[in-house]
Amino acid sequence: MTEPYPIQVTVNGRMRTARVAPHHTLLEVLRDDLGLTGSKECCLVGECGACTVMLDGRSVDSCLVLAAEADGGEVLTVEGLAADGRLTALQEAFLEYGAAQCGFCIPGQLLSAHALLTTHEHPTRADVEEGLAGNLCRCAGYQQIIEAVLAAAGAGAAGGTEGRRRDGAQDGPVPSAHSDRPDPAATPDAQVAPQ
Amino acid sequence: MSTQRGNSETEQPVGIGGSVPRVGGRDRVTGHQAYVADLHLEDELHVKLVTVDCARARIGTIDATAALALPGVRLVMTAADLPDPMPRFGPQYRDRPVLAVNETRYHGEPVAAVAADTLDAAEAGAALVRVEYEPLPAVFTIDAALAPGAPLVQDPDMRPADPLRDTNVLREHRYGWGDVDGAKADVVVEGTYTFPMVTQFAIEPHAFMAAPDGDGIAVWSSIQHPNWLQRVIASLLDMPLSRVRVYAPDPGGAFGGKQHAKYEPLLAFMALRAGRPVRLVLTLEETFQAVRRGASSVHVRSGFRSDGTLVFRDIEANYLIGAYADIADRTVAKGSYTSAGPYRVPNVRILARSVLSHTVPSTAFRGFGNPQQIWAVESNMDEAARILGIDPVELRLRNLAAPTEAFIPGDTPADGRWAESVRRAARMIDWGGPVAPGRGRGIAVGIKSGPTTGLSYSTVRLLADGSVVVYAGTSDMGQGARTIYAQIAAHELGAPVDWVTVVMGDTAVVPYDQQTSASRSSVLMGNAVLHACRDIQAKLGRMAAKLEGVDEAAVSVDAGLVRIADRDEPIRDVLARVLGRLGGEIIGVGEMRKEAEPDHPLGGTAAFYEFNCTAVEVEVDRETGDILLTRHVTVSDVGRALNPTQVRGQDEGAAIMGLGHTLMEHYIFDDEGRIRNLGAIDYRIPTSMDLPVLIESEIVENGDGPGPYGAKGMSEGALLPVAPAVAAAVRDATGVSIRDLPLTPERVWKALHPDASRAGEQAVALP
Amino acid sequence: MRPFSYERPRTLPAAIDLLAGGASAAALAGGTDLIIGLRDGSVRPEVVVDLKGIDEIETGIQVDGDRLVIGGRAVMEDIAADPRVRRDFMALAEAAAVVGSVQIRNRATLAGNLCNASPAADTAPALLVYDASVVVVGPAGSRRIAVDDFFRGPGTTALVPGELVTAIELPLPPARRGAVHLRRTRRRGHDLASVTLAVAVEDGGRVRLAYGSVGPRPILVTDDSGVLTDRGSSAEARASAMERLLAAASPSPRSMRASPEYRLAMLRVLADRALGAAVQRMQGQPA
Repeated sequence: MTEPYPIQVTVNGRMRTARVAPHHTLLEVLRDDLGLTGSKECCLVGECGACTVMLDGRSVDSCLVLAAEADGGEVLTVEGLAADGRLTALQEAFLEYGAAQCGFCIPGQLLSAHALLTTHEHPTRADVEEGLAGNLCRCAGYQQIIEAVLAAAGAGAAGGTEGRRRDGAQDGPVPSAHSDRPDPAATPDAQVAPQ
Repeated sequence: MSTQRGNSETEQPVGIGGSVPRVGGRDRVTGHQAYVADLHLEDELHVKLVTVDCARARIGTIDATAALALPGVRLVMTAADLPDPMPRFGPQYRDRPVLAVNETRYHGEPVAAVAADTLDAAEAGAALVRVEYEPLPAVFTIDAALAPGAPLVQDPDMRPADPLRDTNVLREHRYGWGDVDGAKADVVVEGTYTFPMVTQFAIEPHAFMAAPDGDGIAVWSSIQHPNWLQRVIASLLDMPLSRVRVYAPDPGGAFGGKQHAKYEPLLAFMALRAGRPVRLVLTLEETFQAVRRGASSVHVRSGFRSDGTLVFRDIEANYLIGAYADIADRTVAKGSYTSAGPYRVPNVRILARSVLSHTVPSTAFRGFGNPQQIWAVESNMDEAARILGIDPVELRLRNLAAPTEAFIPGDTPADGRWAESVRRAARMIDWGGPVAPGRGRGIAVGIKSGPTTGLSYSTVRLLADGSVVVYAGTSDMGQGARTIYAQIAAHELGAPVDWVTVVMGDTAVVPYDQQTSASRSSVLMGNAVLHACRDIQAKLGRMAAKLEGVDEAAVSVDAGLVRIADRDEPIRDVLARVLGRLGGEIIGVGEMRKEAEPDHPLGGTAAFYEFNCTAVEVEVDRETGDILLTRHVTVSDVGRALNPTQVRGQDEGAAIMGLGHTLMEHYIFDDEGRIRNLGAIDYRIPTSMDLPVLIESEIVENGDGPGPYGAKGMSEGALLPVAPAVAAAVRDATGVSIRDLPLTPERVWKALHPDASRAGEQAVALP
Repeated sequence: MRPFSYERPRTLPAAIDLLAGGASAAALAGGTDLIIGLRDGSVRPEVVVDLKGIDEIETGIQVDGDRLVIGGRAVMEDIAADPRVRRDFMALAEAAAVVGSVQIRNRATLAGNLCNASPAADTAPALLVYDASVVVVGPAGSRRIAVDDFFRGPGTTALVPGELVTAIELPLPPARRGAVHLRRTRRRGHDLASVTLAVAVEDGGRVRLAYGSVGPRPILVTDDSGVLTDRGSSAEARASAMERLLAAASPSPRSMRASPEYRLAMLRVLADRALGAAVQRMQGQPA
């Protein structure tokens, strides 16, 4: 009763065929059958978003999609973002803003951000917060992730120390008072650097 | 082993204190960073744990016949298949069995494990293992565990000489100085403050593999302390350390929950028995049943003179730890030791108990026992300010220890200008300025003792072309240790950061490091790396002197430059000459030790203190109990920010994690000791929509830390005072002090509407 | 996950045959609830029947005469963004916009949300106040069921084996109307509601109120007295009218998400707030 189900899926632009167990999810097939381990497994109930991929142009939790459902579909995973070794603006911004800490949630964050930018060319900060709410980050690098997405959308303004607002105001990486090479012995006085 | 280089897209400034992009960042944004679950071994078997459906049970026969009959199932491991007596392990006490034997002590404790060719078969097999069991009386709360005649969690025979053996108190810790009972106070403020069970919830669930490796064994784990794990496995298997190889790929978040061995010993025994590699990737639910923070109930009595001067503190804390000690008792000891706060308090008495219970073993979790105490003591401080009629900022400034002041007798004196952090946070939140209606402000401080002992070695190789390989046994779990080490080596040896490769996570290759914990890695391993670089500099200086035919004293090497007779040359240029025709490399060895001090109550003084001041502004919806953080400012005394972007990530990340236990996180239990909110649907953590409207982090840098270039550890500070700051702001906005966490809308509403709510009907979190 | 077989019929009759056949079958639309159930073992079908291959079940939203017809495969994200839904059925748009995360809303269907019959289903109160019907096709043919008759209890609907929902129909508003959806959750990010509620007020003062997560199924109540929207009526009169409307709430004491007293208190707070907002909407722009 549980015959393997043949599927044909375009993954990151490449046609892939597989015979999948009907009860295996898209996430399992991506990771275990196709060797694309960038999509991560965590909660398996559609809460954490670590497994987020694009399926037919929309972001989905691949832990809640049967692989069989993806038959005939088009899938984009984190491995498919960079082309020819060149990172996308989003990936570059994630690096620049320090958005990736442990990195485990980052593939999902990137895919959700990518999906957001396909529907919101100029997202507000609130749009980004809403668009990424299905992607948990326990390092809680949300501030830097949100800034990276805004910057990648071209909405990032120059640096500032005003902090980060919800109302759409954005700022870039905050300059440090200590960007020069330090000489510890030469700074006996109190110095306070906004970070 | 994982090896990462700097971001090679751009050549980064060599300097310390620059926001060099994360080393390993590129792999993290392309999906190529390999965590344990992403690795596969040839011919591997998949493991599924078998548990019973209650907290404490007497285990009868385990019948694996049906499971073993299932195609693909290769092995069903039970206690009977392990050595007798059951091998046990643990960082403080060797109390945790490899598999439960005779009795389970918490819901989720495995009694058997199934290994099969596929995960499907392992899961199906695990469902077919028949376990006869009889539920036994159990304790899940502090009160129940301490009640006379309570069922004992630990077999008294495990500690026959301990006068506490017939109780559920694993250990009592007593600290203090002065004379609390004789102290004369004008005002005494007291209260009991509770902190719930919360879980680390790293987005990477724990993952393990083990495989026979020649005469030895190889173990892969998402572990923070690979060298500790190596020791545990070697001891359990009676093998020399050299035959146990631990691979520790970068954890996908750890937060303390991955410090110590959990199921690696089980997997090692299974791999040897099966003669094949085995792998176990926990579900998120299983991680909830593997690690958590200790819950607590802390009674604080503080005496003040009427001018606000602290006269005494009398603290009695009960921590509800789990069924096995893990490192929990140490969190109790260390969290309580500094619980009088960063203040000048002449008379202090602290009593803290580690109370065993039939619940998930609690373990290290960012803050390590301190957030529970700081919640209590700083909330008490806020209540005192109100009762004394003194501004909460002023009250703290009046009592804060001055730099170099010995605020804990016999320990490291105050190592920062802490008042500066408090004043800065107050200024940032506009303390004393006008507050909009319905809003309130709160402020709190937190202090945590850094590592009390430590031992880190590093080897650094300066290769012939001037590029560098650093070996460091730290686990980079997101804190960015690789980047820091690359920056140090780049700075010292004059290499671009992207010419530095940092090798971690393989005990057969990388020298010993005691552990990745207590925000130690920039300081301890950072110094080891620095010393290894300086070792290279010294060797290079000697070689250059010989080559140039000058006296060794005429040559100095520092910050990437070789100075010979007032002439500076980059190391890279000199290197080619000194290495000569054969090339080769220069190898440096570095070591950083913090020796134990046996007479110290904690076994050692603090390497440094983490100090943070947090101030928040909240808006409280009195009808619903909703708290909106309109502003959250956090100021950490970091000594020196080696990488400001990473410092900010740690500070703001810790702050938001702190909002989790402050506002929403807690385990909810049923009567059988099962976690009702097991998993991501009903255990809520902050999302991107739960951020404060405005969050700002700043740092105080006085170069006064013991780490490289004056750095201190700083990864936990911004979490420490979040809860008391928020509760103080709620009190400021509403006039109501709440002494139990989390401050869920319902809890706040009940506090604001005491008549409308009837107690007892809600399933409230323990304790 | 336990094994099952997977079928993707191309036609309604084929799907109905599979669902009504001998094997235990589960219909799969978005799958955001079903797959959780398949994994935790609370649903154990022999066959999963994927409805996404059936063109007769629409993914779109159309106006058909005096009704707005939401296809059985329309997903929450599209419903929340649809301009006609936002113009005439704002409470539904608001409810659809808070069902899970974007990733969930990209998969979850309105039909699936109804068929799950969760007492906490966020879209149910809006559909109730809008007097929506469910179009059902099964072995015995097609029928329409008022949403109020569709919910029976937690997880139970009026569907008989083999029946499936092909569309949801909402009558277009006859006159000026203001409607609002509000809910209570444990955090600001996506969450299951501990109270979910919709109010619609009509020009004549008629109030339709529906609430969920405070009893075994969502409840629809109405007040035609006009007292609730009449600024001239006394506070006591309005309070007592509201009490009558809310009297049917019976939250479970066993839930861990909120206590009964908190749910009941929040039901009142949300009802008052929603009523006020709905009146404003009616007076401002059509909602």
